[in-house]
Amino acid sequence: MAEYKGLDGNEEDIDPYFGIAKLDEQLKGIPEKKIVLISASPSVGNEVFGYQIIHKNITSGVKVLVFLNRTSPQSYLTDMKDYDFPANDNLFILDAYSGITGIKSDETDHIKVINNPYDIEEVKSKVIGALGNGYGLIVIDSFSLLADFFNFPFVLSFIDEIKNAVVSHNSAAVLLFTDWGYEKENVDKLLSKVNSTIEVKGIEKRVIFGQYFAVLKCDWVKEANALSSVLFKAIKPGGIKVYFPKILVTGPTDAGKSSFIHSASKDAVSVDKLGGTIALDHGSVDFKGYRADLFGTPGQERFDPLLKMLGEEAIGVFLIVDSTKPEQFPRAVEMLRKTETYGLPVVVIANKADLKGALKGEEIRERLHLDSAITLIQTVAENLSTVDPNQPTKLKSEGINEALSALFKQLT
Amino acid sequence: MEAIQTGFKSFDELTGGLEYRKVYSLFGDKESGKEQFLYKLVQSALSAKIAIVYTLTSKSYSELISEFNSRGININPYLGNSFKILDDFSRTNSPSATNNSYAKILNGPLDLTGLSVSLSTVNGDFIKDAKPVINIFDNLSNLLMYNNPVTVYRFLQFICGKAKLAGVTTLFSVDTVMHTPDVIETIKNLSDAIIDLKLDNGKRYFKISGISKEVLQFKELE
Ligand SMILES: Nc1nc2c(ncn2[C@@H]2O[C@H](COP(=O)(O)OP(=O)(O)OP(=O)(O)O)[C@@H](O)[C@H]2O)c(=O)[nH]1
Ligand SMILES: [Mg+2]
Repeated sequence: MAEYKGLDGNEEDIDPYFGIAKLDEQLKGIPEKKIVLISASPSVGNEVFGYQIIHKNITSGVKVLVFLNRTSPQSYLTDMKDYDFPANDNLFILDAYSGITGIKSDETDHIKVINNPYDIEEVKSKVIGALGNGYGLIVIDSFSLLADFFNFPFVLSFIDEIKNAVVSHNSAAVLLFTDWGYEKENVDKLLSKVNSTIEVKGIEKRVIFGQYFAVLKCDWVKEANALSSVLFKAIKPGGIKVYFPKILVTGPTDAGKSSFIHSASKDAVSVDKLGGTIALDHGSVDFKGYRADLFGTPGQERFDPLLKMLGEEAIGVFLIVDSTKPEQFPRAVEMLRKTETYGLPVVVIANKADLKGALKGEEIRERLHLDSAITLIQTVAENLSTVDPNQPTKLKSEGINEALSALFKQLT
Repeated sequence: MEAIQTGFKSFDELTGGLEYRKVYSLFGDKESGKEQFLYKLVQSALSAKIAIVYTLTSKSYSELISEFNSRGININPYLGNSFKILDDFSRTNSPSATNNSYAKILNGPLDLTGLSVSLSTVNGDFIKDAKPVINIFDNLSNLLMYNNPVTVYRFLQFICGKAKLAGVTTLFSVDTVMHTPDVIETIKNLSDAIIDLKLDNGKRYFKISGISKEVLQFKELE
């Protein structure tokens, strides 16, 4: 059984799953007997969605069949591996590519060949026939290429046959589709035949500066209109990550903002002098299928003129305070105002809880006048003996993870 | 902005060069000198600080680089900086070929989505760097061989539309003898301007239509 552990760490047990944060939270996986269409703009593509769904399922014990006409099985597997999605024994490929290029592909236990991919009957019978072999999921990559090869009437009737097969074998199907600007009528018919459509698009002017997916339709979820669009990045290696472009990390001098950013991300950079931040910190965080860019402010008052600019376009805030310095708490609140992020989703981090004289969480809440709905998390240095007064220090991962979960949950 | 100089004196003087943001197709048979035209254009554009995305469909990136070297074109300083290759060929022979800093290995002629995604990514990187860009396709023949013409047409229409929005110049090289007249006609319809090359008695000639300074009779290319 595939399982999905969301930000809460809850396990669900419907399979197969997408393995993609947010999609699994919204749709609770792909129930048996359902067909999902992933429809992408040609400048964004959807192949990584395919790789990730396949990988999630084969590593959860679901047998997956890929109908492949876009490229050779070997280059498909190379591509998957580049995203850190290696194949295993649960992955089977029906090769409808080699027959087109004339380059011979050897059949193995895991790769079966469609000799003549131009032959509608062979394509149909091999796909439908294979579905009787205990696959929990079939992925068709690419379904739009089938429409290009044959025609829309064929792919529309083929969906009906896939649907019958999937229903009678308690399987499910994912169709990867690139929308090249086909006739609207044809695309509408296609959408009407599937149970769920996920759209993958770019936000573009002269260049693409963001990518998002959105659930256009899903017949097994009640509040389908609550499914808004989600920014993502396709990261190699790593795959699809739900993306938060800007989260601000602010708070008084020396509270541990830089320490927090360095502990939460692998690639943090700081503009620091004598241990104090003089411009900003930046780090990107990968956490449970999410990717966030953290921007840290300086804490010293002489840099206050920068704060407004640094806070611009942030969608959430980590407010860091030093648990031993309640006299700085008013300054902490002032910094929310100065960055103009007051009112955004916020998680308060009471750092340096390891030091003598650290206040208890409840007391900090009271002194900061925190609303009971606001999450407060205490964090500590990983190793007190290595704390260097001129360097950010590594914070214990439990606190960091709790803080990330708490804010990400508010942002999704 | 000045037009893009091709490095051929007669061509540049008579036509003014290639105009930004336009779609050009370059026709000719095997011996007509299409590659010579492209390579010289690459050299000339790179030295004018123009960035190039060079898409290969019937040779590998290493073959391309050795062709530049054998013609005495020093491409090395530009590799990965303003010259990037989309190699849609290598994986046909070596399926596990992988990317390097200047060549992205694509999945072969049927994966037009992959090609389109890569083009848009690399173009975006250059544009964010404030560089003018040319997309060169050397050549369309392999795409046309494995896909049906309507599919290729849709693909080209999409990427030309994006290129224009982004201010990118496009050039397709097409081998005339490999395709039926209706396929050639289709590509002409997508293009703003058409360049024809031919070899005659050991000399190369060009003509061009669709720009303000047309050259409608074959002129020597030198
Ligand atoms: N004991 C202890 N020391 C900490 C902790 N977190 C940070 N420090 C230390 O506190 C000092 C300040 O940490 P930074 O992360 O640089 O603080 P900052 O908020 O970025 O400071 P500015 O950029 O100057 O505003 C450094 O010497 C850290 O090593 C903690 O949890 N416990
Ligand atoms: Mg700092």
